[in-house]
Amino acid sequence: MDFGDLKEALASQSYGQIADICDHLMLQVAAEGVAFQEEWPYAIHLLGHIYADDINSARFLWKSIPSSIKESQPEVVAAWKIGQHLWTRDYAAVHEAICGFDWSQEVRGLVASFAEQYTKRMFRLLSSAYSTISLQDAALFLGMSEDDAANYVLQQGWDFDPTSRMLTVKQQQAVTDQKLDPSKLQRLTEYVFQLEH
Amino acid sequence: MGSIENLVTQIQGLSGSVDDIAHLHNILKIADESLHAEPSALSSVLDQVDPAKHSLGYLYFLEAFTFGPVSKEQALTLIPILARFINCCDAQQIRFAPDKFVSVCKRFKDHVLLIESPLRGVSPMRAAVRKLQTTSEHLTTLHPDFLLLCILSKSYNIGLSVLEDDIFDVDQPRDLFLYCYYGGMICIGQKRFRKALELLHNVVTAPMNTINAIAVEAYKKYILVSLIHYGQFSTSLPKYASSAAQRNLKNFCQPYIELATTYSSGKIAEFKVYVDTNREKFDNDKNLGLVKQVVSSMYKHNIQRLTQTYLTLSLQDIANTVQLGSPKEAEMHVLQMIQDGEIFATINQKDGMVRFLEDPEQYKTCQMIERIDSSIQRIMTLSRKLNAMDELMSYDPLYLSKVLFPQVGRERQRFDFDDFDTVPQKFPI
Amino acid sequence: MEPEDEIYENGGGEQPPPRSKPIISGEQLDVETYASLYRDRTKVARLLFIADRCDNEAMPLEALGMEALRMAYDEIKKGENTQLFREVVGKIRGRLGDKYEMDAAWCETVDRRAEQKKEKLENELNSYRTNLIKESIRMGYNDFGDFHYAHGALGDAFKSYVRTRDYCTTSKHIISMCMNAILVSIEMGQFTHVTSYVSKAEQTPDALDPITVAKLRCAAGLAHLETKKYKLAARKFLETGPELGSHYNEVIAPQDVATYGGLCALASFDRTELKNKVIDNLNFRNFLELVPEVRELINDFYSSHYASCLEYLGNLKPNLLLDIHLHDHVETLYDQIRHKALIQYTHPFVSVDLRMMANAFKTSVAGLEKELEALITDNQIQARIDSHNKILYARHADQRNATFQRVLQTGSEFDRDVRSMLLRANLIKYDHNLRASRKL
Repeated sequence: MDFGDLKEALASQSYGQIADICDHLMLQVAAEGVAFQEEWPYAIHLLGHIYADDINSARFLWKSIPSSIKESQPEVVAAWKIGQHLWTRDYAAVHEAICGFDWSQEVRGLVASFAEQYTKRMFRLLSSAYSTISLQDAALFLGMSEDDAANYVLQQGWDFDPTSRMLTVKQQQAVTDQKLDPSKLQRLTEYVFQLEH
Repeated sequence: MGSIENLVTQIQGLSGSVDDIAHLHNILKIADESLHAEPSALSSVLDQVDPAKHSLGYLYFLEAFTFGPVSKEQALTLIPILARFINCCDAQQIRFAPDKFVSVCKRFKDHVLLIESPLRGVSPMRAAVRKLQTTSEHLTTLHPDFLLLCILSKSYNIGLSVLEDDIFDVDQPRDLFLYCYYGGMICIGQKRFRKALELLHNVVTAPMNTINAIAVEAYKKYILVSLIHYGQFSTSLPKYASSAAQRNLKNFCQPYIELATTYSSGKIAEFKVYVDTNREKFDNDKNLGLVKQVVSSMYKHNIQRLTQTYLTLSLQDIANTVQLGSPKEAEMHVLQMIQDGEIFATINQKDGMVRFLEDPEQYKTCQMIERIDSSIQRIMTLSRKLNAMDELMSYDPLYLSKVLFPQVGRERQRFDFDDFDTVPQKFPI
Repeated sequence: MEPEDEIYENGGGEQPPPRSKPIISGEQLDVETYASLYRDRTKVARLLFIADRCDNEAMPLEALGMEALRMAYDEIKKGENTQLFREVVGKIRGRLGDKYEMDAAWCETVDRRAEQKKEKLENELNSYRTNLIKESIRMGYNDFGDFHYAHGALGDAFKSYVRTRDYCTTSKHIISMCMNAILVSIEMGQFTHVTSYVSKAEQTPDALDPITVAKLRCAAGLAHLETKKYKLAARKFLETGPELGSHYNEVIAPQDVATYGGLCALASFDRTELKNKVIDNLNFRNFLELVPEVRELINDFYSSHYASCLEYLGNLKPNLLLDIHLHDHVETLYDQIRHKALIQYTHPFVSVDLRMMANAFKTSVAGLEKELEALITDNQIQARIDSHNKILYARHADQRNATFQRVLQTGSEFDRDVRSMLLRANLIKYDHNLRASRKL
C-alpha cells in the first residue's frame, strides 16, 4: 500500500483532501485483493470525513470496520466518538471527545485543526442562531472555560452582562460579492430579449 | 488446439485499426462456440494476449474461460484476472461485444459477492460502467450492479458520483428500475432526500404492464422520504403513472399509506403510537430506520409551520405546541434547524424566546445570478432535447399510424399525448 | 365604512361607545309564543324536538321540556295520528298528571274511523279509475295523500301525492302536487326531493302568485341549509318576499327566515354582499324587524362592534340549539362568523394589539393566539404573531423575492419533470419496439 499521497497531505496540512485520498486508495487496494484492514489508518480516514463535514460517510465507514479492529485500536473508537456526537448534535460532547483522548503523533495535527475549525463553526452558529445566550452555554458550545469563552466572544464584539451572566450576540454581517460580471448581465439581457420577441 | 493458436495469432494481428477489429469480431463470433467447448484449454493462451491491446480477443477468451458455476476458491483466483481486464481493457474494442463484456462483469460481481468482499468490486465496476457507456446519458445494465456493490460495501459516497449524471438512454427497463431503487437507497443514506425522491419517483411512475416488487419497495420508501423531506405525502399518483401502479401500489403499501395519514394530523403522540403498533411491519421491510427519521422530521415540520405564523414565540410555547419535553429540548431543535438552514431564527435565551425571521436571501449576489444562469442553461438544453424527441416521434411511422388511425383500439392509449402534458410542449427559447 | 387602505394600529383609536342597551332575547325560550308561530305537524315536530333536546340536557331545562311535551300532547290530540300520540305519551312518562295519560279509547276510536275512511277512499278511487275521470282520480289520490299524511304514514303520503302528477291538467294542479310533495319531504328530511320539487314548481309555465314564490324560496333555503350550502341558503332566504307572512307556518315562520337567512349570510357573505344584500335589502328588513337581536348583531358585525355582536350570538345560542332545522349548523355557522369577524378585525391594520383584540372578542390572549394561528396557517390572515410583545403584524410579501423563489422552484421542477418524462418516453419506446419485434 502506498500511503505517499496521504502522508504528503498530512504533512502539508491539506486535511480537506484526506477523505478523498483514503477513499480512493481503499478502493484501489481492495480491488487488488490486498487484505488491508489490519494496516488501514481508519482513525485518519474517519477524521478525514469528519474534517470534511461528511458525517454520513464517516458513519458508513465506521459500520464497515471489522469489530476486531474496533476492539484493538482505541484511537479508531475515539475518532468515531467525535463523529457520533456530531451525528447526534451533542455539540458540547464533541469537544469532550476531542480532548478526552491522547491522540497519536500522526493524527494530532489533524485533530487540532478540526478542533479549531469546529470552534469557529460553533461560533458562527451561535452568532447566527442567538441574540442572547448564557455564558455557561456559550462556553459549552465553544469548548472553553467560561473565562476563555468570555474573552473569545468579547473580542468579537459581543457584550456581557455580569449580573445576569448573559451574552448579547453581535450579528455578523456576511459580506457577499454583489458585483456582476458584465458578460453574465449581457447573457441575461439576451434571454429576456428572446422571451419578449 | 491448433485452431486456438491460430486464433491467438489473428487476435495479435487484428487489434489495430477499427476495420481490423470489426473483421476480428466476425472471426471471434464464429469461433465462440468452439471456445466454449473447451474452456480449460484457454488458461494457457490467456497469457499470450494482452488485455489492454487485444481487448476484444481477450474478452472472448475470458468470457468462455469463466463460463459456468465456480467454487469460492475458483472465484478467488478468477477475481484478479477479471479485475485486471476490466481496469485495463480498451473501451472501444469491448464495445464491439457489449453483451460479452456485460456477462464478464456480471460474473465478476457474482464472484466478489460469493467471497463476501463487495468492496473489491467497487472500483473495477465503476471502471466497467464508464467503459461500457457510450455517453454519460447512457444507463448501462452494469449501473445497478455497481450501485449494489456500493451499498453492500457501505461506500455510499462513491455511488453518488455516478448518480450525478443525467440518464436518458436505457437498454432495459429493469436496469432503470434497479438503478433508481439502489440510487434512491444511496441518496437516502447520504441524506440527499430530494435526489432520492426523484429517483424513487421514476420507479413508481415508470411505464409498466404489471406491478413489480421493485416498484412496491420504491413506493414505500418514496412515502417515507416525502414525509421526511416535505412533511406531507399525496396519495394520488400523477396521471402519467401506469394504470398498473395506479390500481395496485397502494394496496401493497397499506401500513405506509396509513402512516402518512396519521402523520398529516400533526399529532406526534398519536403518530408514535401508530409507529409502535406497526413496528414489526416496518422492521420486516427494513425501513424502521427511515421511519424513525420520519418521526423526528415531524418535530421539524411542526416547528417550521410555526415560523409561518409567529414572529416571536417562547421556547415554552414551542415545546408545548410540538410536544417536546422541555424548553431546552425545543431550543436544541430550533438550533439544529437553524444550523441546517431549515428555518431562519434567533434564540433569545434571556427571555426564553425565539424570533423567526424571513429568508435573508435577497437574490442579488453573484452566486445567485450564477445559479439562475446555469438553471436557464440546463432548461434550454433539456427543452432542445424535448423538441428533438418530439420531432423524431412525429416522423416515426409507427407512432403516426397509432395517432392517425386510433381504431387500433386500446393500444392507442399508450401513446397518448397525455404522456407528455405535465410539461409545456414547447419552451419559448 | 372605514377607510380600509389607510394604515393604522388598532390601539389608541376611537373606542366603540359602551353599549348599555339590554339584550332582549337571552332569556329562556317561551315555548308558548314559539309554538304559536306554527301550526299542524311542524308545530308538533318542533315541540317534540325541544322536548328531546331538553331531556338530554341539564336539569334547569326540564320544565321547558315538559311544557313542550304538554303542548305537543294537546296538539296531537286535535289530529288523527295515534302512533305519534302513543309516542308522546311514552315520552311524558306520566310526569304531567292524569290529564296527560294514555287515552286508549281515543286511539281506538280514531283508528277505527281511519279504517273506515280508508275503505271509503279506496272504493271511491276505484270507481274513479274505472270511469277514467282524470280530475276525480287526481282528487282521489290527493285525498289519499292527505289521509296518509294525517296518520303519519309519510312515505305513503308522498307516493300518493306524487301519483297525482299524471292526472294534473293545469299549472295549479302541478303546483299543488309540488307543494304537497315538498311538505312531506321536509318532514321526512328528504331534502333532495325538496330541491327537485321546488324547481319543478318554478318551471311551470304560468306565473306563480307571490305567496307561492315566497314559500318555494323558503323550501329551497331549507334544503340548502341542510346540505350545508350556507351561501345558497342565505340567498334563498334573502329573496323570500314579505308576502310570506304566516301563510307557510305549517313549515316555517317569518322569524325563521330572518334568523336562518341572517346567520347564513353573516357566515358566508363578504362585506360588500352583507351591505348590499342584507343590510340595504328593504325586503329582508321586514323579516329582520321580527327578530331584532339578529338585526342588531348583523349591524354590529358590519360596524365592527364585535364584542356586542358576539354577545348577541352567545345569548341566542341556547335557543338556536333547540331549533329543529338550525341546531346541527349552529356550531359551524358560529365558527365561520367568528372567523370572519377575526379576519375583518385584523384586515385594516399593520399591527394589532392582541390584548385589545382579545378584549373585543371576549377571549384570553392565549386563546386568541391559537385562533389566529389556525387562520394564519389556513392562509386566511396574512400576518404573523409576535407572541413576546403580544402584537399581530401584517405580513407584506416581498414580491421580488417571492418571484425569484418561484422562478427557481419552477425551473427545478421543470428540470426534474422533463428528465423523468424523457426517461418514460424512452421506456415506452423500448416496450413498443419489443412488441413490434415480437410481432414480426
